[in-house]
Amino acid sequence: MCLQKLRDKTLEIKNLVLDVFEQGHTGHIASSYSCAEILVALFYGNILRFDPQNPKWPDRDRFILSKGHAGIIYYSILSDLGFFPKEELMRFGSAGSICGVHVDGRVPGVEANAGSLAGGFGVAVGMAHAAKLDLKNHLVFALLGDGECYEGAIWEGAMHAAFYKLNNLIAIVDHNHMCCTGFIENRMGIEPLDKKWEAFGFDVECIDGHNFDEILNVLSRIRCRKSSKPLCIIADTVKAHGLISVENTPLCHGWAPKSAEAFSKARAELNGR
Amino acid sequence: MPAMRDVFWNEIYALAKDNRDIVILSADFAAPSLDKFRLDLPSQFIELGISEQNMILVAAGMALEGKQPFCYAISPFITMRCFEQTRLYVAGMNLPITLVGVGAGFAYSDSGYTHHSVEDIAIMRTLPHMRIFQPSDNDTTKILAKLALESSSPVYVRLDRYGKENLIGNTDHVSSGMSVVRPIEKITLLASGNMLMTALEVALRLAEQNISIGVVDACIFPLDPNRFHEIFADVDHLITLEEHTFIGGIGSHVLELISDCDMKLRVKRFALDLSNGYVHEYGGRDLIHQQQKMDSESIISYVRSVCV
Repeated sequence: MCLQKLRDKTLEIKNLVLDVFEQGHTGHIASSYSCAEILVALFYGNILRFDPQNPKWPDRDRFILSKGHAGIIYYSILSDLGFFPKEELMRFGSAGSICGVHVDGRVPGVEANAGSLAGGFGVAVGMAHAAKLDLKNHLVFALLGDGECYEGAIWEGAMHAAFYKLNNLIAIVDHNHMCCTGFIENRMGIEPLDKKWEAFGFDVECIDGHNFDEILNVLSRIRCRKSSKPLCIIADTVKAHGLISVENTPLCHGWAPKSAEAFSKARAELNGR
Repeated sequence: MPAMRDVFWNEIYALAKDNRDIVILSADFAAPSLDKFRLDLPSQFIELGISEQNMILVAAGMALEGKQPFCYAISPFITMRCFEQTRLYVAGMNLPITLVGVGAGFAYSDSGYTHHSVEDIAIMRTLPHMRIFQPSDNDTTKILAKLALESSSPVYVRLDRYGKENLIGNTDHVSSGMSVVRPIEKITLLASGNMLMTALEVALRLAEQNISIGVVDACIFPLDPNRFHEIFADVDHLITLEEHTFIGGIGSHVLELISDCDMKLRVKRFALDLSNGYVHEYGGRDLIHQQQKMDSESIISYVRSVCV
C-alpha cells in the first residue's frame, strides 16, 4: 500500500473507531488515535505476516497490543482485515459481544489478553523466546504505552529479552507523553526513555509515530537486521491525534463524545472539515 | 531422604528427555536435581533471575506457543509477588503452566514471615481453573509431578522443604485427591502436606488410649465433592489440619464444601491464627505449632474433650 493509501486507511480506521464507540458507548479513543499510524503501517504496510482466514497460522508474526486499553482500534483493524465480521465489531461492549474495552485473547487475531499494563510485553518476550527455542523465523511485535513503562515488569522483560538475545522481538513504544491523569513528565518522569531502553540492552530507533515515511523506514528493515539485540522503536506521538480540540489535553485519556453534536464535531475535526 | 523438590524434578526430568516442550523457568532457585537439566537439557532450563512477574509472563508466552512451562521459586514469592500475572495470564487464559513453590507453611520457619507461606492456598484457590497439589510424602510427590505435566490447566504445587518417606500407604487414590490413610471413624482428621505427620502421630497416640480416629490425606484442591461425600458420608466430626491461615485455607474450603453439599458434619479447624499479626518466632517449626496450638498435644487434647 502506498503512503497516501496508508494515510487514507488511517483516517478510515479512525472514523470506524468513532462509529464503534458511538454504538458501544465505551472504549479509549485518545489512546487509539496516538497509535493509529503505527498499527496501520504494521497491518496494511506489508510488515506483519498474517492470514485472516487462518489466525493461528504457525508462521505468522505475533503482535501483542500490550497497551490493551486501545482495543477499540485493534478490533476495528482486525475486523476490517476480515478476522471477524463487522457485525461483531459493531456489537463492541454490548451483551454477548466478544469485544470489550481491553483486548481479549478469544477474539480472532488476538494472541493474548491484555489490559493490566506490562503484562502483554512479558507475554511477547515469552513468545519470542519460544520461537528461538524452536528455531522459528517469525517476529514478535509488542506495542506499549509510554505510561506503561512505569511498570517494573516492563524492565524485567527487557532484561530478559536482552540477556537471551531475542532479536526477533520488537517493542514499539507509543510515546504520546500522557498517562491517565496528565503529562508523564509531570507525574513521574521517565525520560530519557531511549537511553533507558539502550541501557537495558535494546537497539533503539526514535521516530515520528505519525509519519509513515519514518515508520516504514524502520519497520521495512526489520527482517534484515544483523543485530543480536532486541529492538525498541520509540514513536513520538500525540494523544488523540487528529482531534484538534482534544489533542494533548490533560484528561483526554478518558475523552468520550456523549451527544450527537459531539460526534459530529469529532468527525468534522478528524476529517478536516 | 531426598527432598520433595528433588523427587519432583527427577520425575519431570525423566519425562522431559523425550518431550522438548517441557521447560523449567527458575527465578534464581535451585535444586541438586536441576543440575541435570542444566547439563543435559540446557535449552529446557531457563534462568530468569529474581523476577517472578516476568517468569509468569514469559511462561504464558511460551505456553501460548505450545510449551509446557514449569515455574519455580519459593512458595510465597511464586504465589504473591506475581499474583496478578498468574490471575490474568495463567488462570485468565487457562494455560497449562505449573507453578512449583517450595516452602509450604513454615518450612522456612527460621527465615521469618517474608518466607512463610501461610496464605497461598487461600489466594490460589480463588483463581479459575487453578488446582493446588500438596503432597505429604515423596511417593505422592512423584505421582503429582506426572499429573501436573498431564494437566491441560494450571497447577500450583505446594512442596515442603524436606522429603518424607511414604506416609499415605496405598497410593492408588492419589489422583482422586484424597487417600484414606487410617480407616474412617466417627471422628476423622483431614490433613494435608506437613500436617499429615501430625495427624498420624495424633491417631497413634489416641489409639494407645483406646480412641480410634480416622486419617485422610488431601493432596489435590479443590477437593472433589463426590470423593469428599464418599469418604465422609458417615463421619460425625471432621477435624482439619493445615499449616496455613484459618482464612480461606483447607478448613474453610471443607466448610464451604459441606455447606454446598448439604452435609451434616461437625467441623473443627486447626490452622494458623494471624489476627494478632504474622509469626516472628525463630525457634523452629514445632515451637510455632505449639504456640499456634496446632501441635499434636493440642489436637489430642481437643479430641479427648469431645470424646468424653
